[in-house]
Amino acid sequence: MAVVIKPKKFFEVCVEAELTPELALRSVDEVKKFKVYYGNKVVELGELFEVAKQGDEKKLILDGDFSRVKWIGARMVDGEIVVKGSVGANCGAFMRGGKITIEGNADDWLGIEMAGGEIIVKGNAGNLVGCAYYGDAVGMTAGKIIIEGNAGNYVGEKMNGGEIVIKGNAGDFIGTEMRAGVIEIHGSCGFVGGDMRGGEIRIKGSFELLPTFKKTEKGWVGDVNVKGEGVIKTF
Amino acid sequence: MLWIKNGIVVDPKNKIKAEKMDLFVKDGKIVDETKVKKQDCTVIDASGKLVVAGGVDMHAHIAGSKINTGRTMRPEEMRVVRNIAGKFRATVGRVLLTAPAIGYEYAKMGYTTSFEAAQPPIGALHTHEELDAIPMIDKGALPVFGNWHLVFKCIEEKNMEKLKALVAWAIERSKGFGVKVVNPGGVEAWMYGGNVKSLDDQVPGFNVTPREIITWLIKANEELGLPHSVHLHCNNLGVPGNYQTTIESIKLANGFSNAKRQVLHVTHVQFNAYAGSSWRDAGSGAAEIAKVVNSMDNVTIDMGQPIFGHATAMTGDAPFQFSLHKLIGARWSNKDTEVETGAGIVPIGYLPNNPVHALQWAIGLELGLLVDSNKVALTTDYPNGGPFTEYPYVMAMLMSKKMREGELSKVNAYVQKATGLTSIDVEKTLYEVIHMTRSLPAKILGLENKGHLGIGADADIAIYNLNPLETDTSKEFEKVYKMFKSAEYTIKGGEIIVKGGELVKEVYGRTFWVDATKKADIQAVMPDIREYFNYYSVQLGNYGVEERWIKKPARIEVV
Ligand SMILES: [Zn+2]
Repeated sequence: MAVVIKPKKFFEVCVEAELTPELALRSVDEVKKFKVYYGNKVVELGELFEVAKQGDEKKLILDGDFSRVKWIGARMVDGEIVVKGSVGANCGAFMRGGKITIEGNADDWLGIEMAGGEIIVKGNAGNLVGCAYYGDAVGMTAGKIIIEGNAGNYVGEKMNGGEIVIKGNAGDFIGTEMRAGVIEIHGSCGFVGGDMRGGEIRIKGSFELLPTFKKTEKGWVGDVNVKGEGVIKTF
Repeated sequence: MLWIKNGIVVDPKNKIKAEKMDLFVKDGKIVDETKVKKQDCTVIDASGKLVVAGGVDMHAHIAGSKINTGRTMRPEEMRVVRNIAGKFRATVGRVLLTAPAIGYEYAKMGYTTSFEAAQPPIGALHTHEELDAIPMIDKGALPVFGNWHLVFKCIEEKNMEKLKALVAWAIERSKGFGVKVVNPGGVEAWMYGGNVKSLDDQVPGFNVTPREIITWLIKANEELGLPHSVHLHCNNLGVPGNYQTTIESIKLANGFSNAKRQVLHVTHVQFNAYAGSSWRDAGSGAAEIAKVVNSMDNVTIDMGQPIFGHATAMTGDAPFQFSLHKLIGARWSNKDTEVETGAGIVPIGYLPNNPVHALQWAIGLELGLLVDSNKVALTTDYPNGGPFTEYPYVMAMLMSKKMREGELSKVNAYVQKATGLTSIDVEKTLYEVIHMTRSLPAKILGLENKGHLGIGADADIAIYNLNPLETDTSKEFEKVYKMFKSAEYTIKGGEIIVKGGELVKEVYGRTFWVDATKKADIQAVMPDIREYFNYYSVQLGNYGVEERWIKKPARIEVV
């Protein structure tokens, strides 16, 4: 059965809650006892959110503003999450399967190191979509992220598979150190492909090309600084 | 006051081999039974439990710019949460721990003293600020001398009085403990993009050689009568074939003697014990090195044992760090420390199926097994070889051939032809391993009240849930490992800080430093020091650390 979770109040500090569709398999009372962080305190989910059941799918409906709730859908493997508002940072981090739909905006670190599944953002996304956490070697490896609006800087940094589609514009440093996978930007963006080793970046609008890419039949290939064979092309 | 009742005591310095006895503690010291009122004592029932001195780590990188740069460049290390703020401080870190985590993890393991093994003198304030942030343990730091322009100048001029004055002045100013030498001459050569390759290479810009730097510093150290000997990180570290340089360096101790201790300590020898001409044909030089060390009575070493898993290479050996970065392609940070020294940092992981890593692992163990237990201390050169929290693994391995056989079956078979580990039958006794982790490192450092449980010793005590009279360390290695990981009790300066493997009280230990300024004519070197301060980024008056800035300084005056 689907579980509907609704914030009871405005959160003074961020909540860290790994809310996944697994919660839909539990009773309302069990869901209310689920442990989350409120600032540096461990509290029960029921203290901060109203919980109700609805329908019978493995689905989580997050009804309201979740822009101060981090780690939604982190590590999820299947099922569905629908957010009727915006989400905080790290949404869909390490996710391996299932689907997250965000009707509002997504904060930074969306779909970090994700290895499967699908994320759809109807609004805008922040920085570092589908990339690797600082210090880690590999970003997103599989799955798909679709952003209907704009995205920030560092989209797909160290990406090694999967697909990111941005219907609007994006910032700088797109596909930095990218190894495989596809980034498609329907609008314009800034610098693209620094230290790119492989994969493909398609851009419809304008963008800034680094001098370390060679023009070929396939598009611009590089980054030659790292003997890369990544491709940047327009469509 | 404490009364530790019925424990089975192993105390190698006092020749106590697993004897059932009581210990008494008053005012932070071990005292005779007659000095306490038993009715006022907190009684600890240690029946059937092993009672030993708190562990002493004589070589680790626990404070200063290197480990801090390591933390900065390895955010992934900082994502492991160890403790959430509450009664104790918040701590994080996988292998590169935050300062409080370092103190807590040592304490949980029954260790109560650790020395930072390399601090650039000009970075001393940072080192001491960080040492002050480490709870639970006693500390100290070794300033580095092997690449300092002014050291070269004193040796060039063959002026021993001036060199002694410089050493005494620098140790006092940096509130340091002894003389560390890292790749003598090589880090200066690195300032020109090079390195030195033998003991007789001339250092660029100076008329000195590594051989002269080492012998002159040993002589200065011994004439000053410092508690610790010269502490040497040899030239050619990490280079196949380097075991010969190591043996030549060890032999430089010939002709020097000290009634109390060694005159030369050669550190993390595993990294300097490779035979062969490249990583394709590299082998072990451990047996040859062990033979030389065992034949001399004035040299000690420590292992530098690699632990499979994550580590971070950080040494004052800047050219080595660059070669390592080139070899493995990992991130690299370089430090150039004005006219004194340099350093580098590179993340690394030791993998059992990698032939080179397996070789390094086997060589460390060979050294621990083949060198006399009175001459080899147990270290991982934290965090270069891995976490100090795995010392119990090394202890258990040294005591059990069966455990080694099990581990050998999991590592790259290259070690079977490249090292002698498989054919070593030695199993160190518990008594020997306790010596290698307590009384020996304390003796090497020259800390008379550490590493033992005799009357007058510091009341730094570890109690483990292991009955030495009923444990076969050769067969029960899993239990041995588990018990040494987590102390039943850790007592620091007479206070119970760990109980049942859990922290119960936070204390701050002392920082030992050595004052030998009365043993030299400091004025002999002051004109040169003033001249050199034209090339420093700070003024002479702002250089160094005042004693009152340190939380709990413990001055050891050399007279
Ligand atoms: Zn070291």
